[in-house]
Amino acid sequence: MGHKLGPESKLIDMLSVLIISIFAGFLGSLTGLGGGSIMIPVLVAFGVPLKYAIAASMVTIIATSSGSAASYVKERITNVKAAFYLEMFTIVGAIIGATITSFIAPRFLYFFFAGFLLTSFFGLSGHLRGEFSKRVKQDRFSKWLELDGSYYDEAAKKKISYKIKNAHLGGPCMLIAGLAAGMLGIGAGAFKVSIHELILKMPAKVSTTTSNFIIGITALAGASVYFASGLLFVGLAAPMAAGTTVGALVGGRILNRLPNRLVRYLFLVIVVALIAQMLYEGITSP
Amino acid sequence: MKRALSEEKLDSLISYILTLGVLLSVAVETLGIAGYYSSNGNLNILFQPSFAMKGTDFFSYMGKLFQELTVGGWSPMEVLGLGIVVLMLTPYLRVVASVLYFGLTRNPKYLLITLFVLFVLTASLLQL
Repeated sequence: MGHKLGPESKLIDMLSVLIISIFAGFLGSLTGLGGGSIMIPVLVAFGVPLKYAIAASMVTIIATSSGSAASYVKERITNVKAAFYLEMFTIVGAIIGATITSFIAPRFLYFFFAGFLLTSFFGLSGHLRGEFSKRVKQDRFSKWLELDGSYYDEAAKKKISYKIKNAHLGGPCMLIAGLAAGMLGIGAGAFKVSIHELILKMPAKVSTTTSNFIIGITALAGASVYFASGLLFVGLAAPMAAGTTVGALVGGRILNRLPNRLVRYLFLVIVVALIAQMLYEGITSP
Repeated sequence: MKRALSEEKLDSLISYILTLGVLLSVAVETLGIAGYYSSNGNLNILFQPSFAMKGTDFFSYMGKLFQELTVGGWSPMEVLGLGIVVLMLTPYLRVVASVLYFGLTRNPKYLLITLFVLFVLTASLLQL
């Protein structure tokens, strides 16, 4: 199971977890990395066994995702139908992923984690793409699924209508996103957003908010497996969930006031540090 | 236009469920942490098997918690557990609400899709 210490040793206390989680939630929401990707390597650095950190993070993600999804859904930017269709795939993936984690040696997980962090770079270019073209010819299956929509864009000050395509390809790709999320205890947001934009042709704002919405259900599916596997510790998950929710809330408020350059440097420094930490743990793990 | 209006209702309902669930769970967890400190004098997390949610599925765990609620005598660990239960129920309830919505508005495609999601989640939470 990757215990570094005996099962009865004290590893970390709730107050430290709470403080770390507030920071992780704050930075995760600021950089778009999400709370889990930051939280897990940091907890591991503090001596928490990797699988315990993954299981607790999976539950935590339900809080951060649901918290921010609530306002986006209300503003009607999220495409709820697309989310339901894609969730069919992510939840199955997450259940498989979490089951794999329950059995696999932690050593492999460290390397998977480090490797998957590279997909966060997808997010960097995600919003640089030009204005969304509405001249998309929708395929029959996507049309049958009623995958179109419109939202009011605050920045452009106009209503944007769009049509989603390639639902038949997007679904199976989301299975992989769910698998990675369930296995690593993260939201895999950047990966999901890339599928939404590159394959399903969602506009950027619809893509990020819909991904956020899906993350909550995907995390629940993964958490259901960890719940019964004995890897989920209430004492760890509760302060994590409370802390990251508060941190993410503050991060979301501050984001618009910070210069983009600063956010990008911050992102780069954090991702590199996280990858280095997980590779180090992987190499030195027994 | 009619479709957009009725979907707006679903969106507000979902938003309401999510906001309420997250706020409630954070409140319960904060209460649990405070309770843990006042009864133990410290906030150490012990990674002992007895502190893990093991040997039971989600719904039996929830049933046991509520049963103890009616009897009284809650330990802080159970309050923390309740916070997690509320949190996990939040997205689950938004799926239940969506199933009901698509059922009531007679949208068979999305009724099936949401039923599938509900079925898989329920099966996994029950450890079937």
